[in-house]
Amino acid sequence: MPDTTRTAMNRRNFLRAVTGASTVAAATAATALNPGEAHAYDPGEEESGPRYQETDHVKAFYRVNGYETLKK
Amino acid sequence: MARMKFLCDADRCIECNACVTACKNEHDVPWGINRRRVVTINDGKPGERSVSMACMHCTDAPCAAVCPVDCFYTTADAVVLHSKDLCIGCGYCFYACPFGAPQYPRVGNFGSRGKMDKCTFCAAGPEADSTEIEYAKYGANRLAEGKLPLCAEMCSTKSLLAGDGEIIAAIYKERVTQRGYGSGAWGWQTAYRETITV
Repeated sequence: MPDTTRTAMNRRNFLRAVTGASTVAAATAATALNPGEAHAYDPGEEESGPRYQETDHVKAFYRVNGYETLKK
Repeated sequence: MARMKFLCDADRCIECNACVTACKNEHDVPWGINRRRVVTINDGKPGERSVSMACMHCTDAPCAAVCPVDCFYTTADAVVLHSKDLCIGCGYCFYACPFGAPQYPRVGNFGSRGKMDKCTFCAAGPEADSTEIEYAKYGANRLAEGKLPLCAEMCSTKSLLAGDGEIIAAIYKERVTQRGYGSGAWGWQTAYRETITV
């Protein structure tokens, strides 16, 4: 009889310990996974910098498309 | 700084689909995806209009606002691009886009459609300029080569304009003030007569 009581107490203690550990782990994981404020993807200055250049090729496109404008 | 814009002069578009073909060829766009397409309203009726549509590179892009992984970014030229490495193919951008620009390589549900693909204003993506990997993912980077989108450069009727927003707006404004009614094309009034309201 005394042996049975000791076993039951041990199991209870074990479950308490497991529950406590799980709660702490869940809280830690939640903190670690918190994404915070969302930010748009930033590829960096180099890749999002200006590419457009008004080359002769581009100027020719504007000239051809705006020939009515240039006629004046 | 110049802001890149597309402008389709619907009075000039003849629905030849050269812009669609040029885009697919230039960027090696896979089957099932059209980065650009021509939409016709009142097809076959007087007053028919066609307009070439693709990503319009919105200033406050709704696709970017709904993206759960924030894969969109706007370049200094105001071109809206995205990272295919981050895209999860959820399809939210397709629902958000008022122009139906985002396309997916496969038909499927959430996440099984593959990476989203859309018009890049011929400015490719976040990879290093004019590299093989950039071409494979996003297509040609004509903007970095000092050129404009091929769809506009190929347009035989000069309907599709692309480039610096201020310049193409001035060109379009001048066209409208000059031609007034209709397209200004030869035979327009014979074909559609004065009674057709446009």
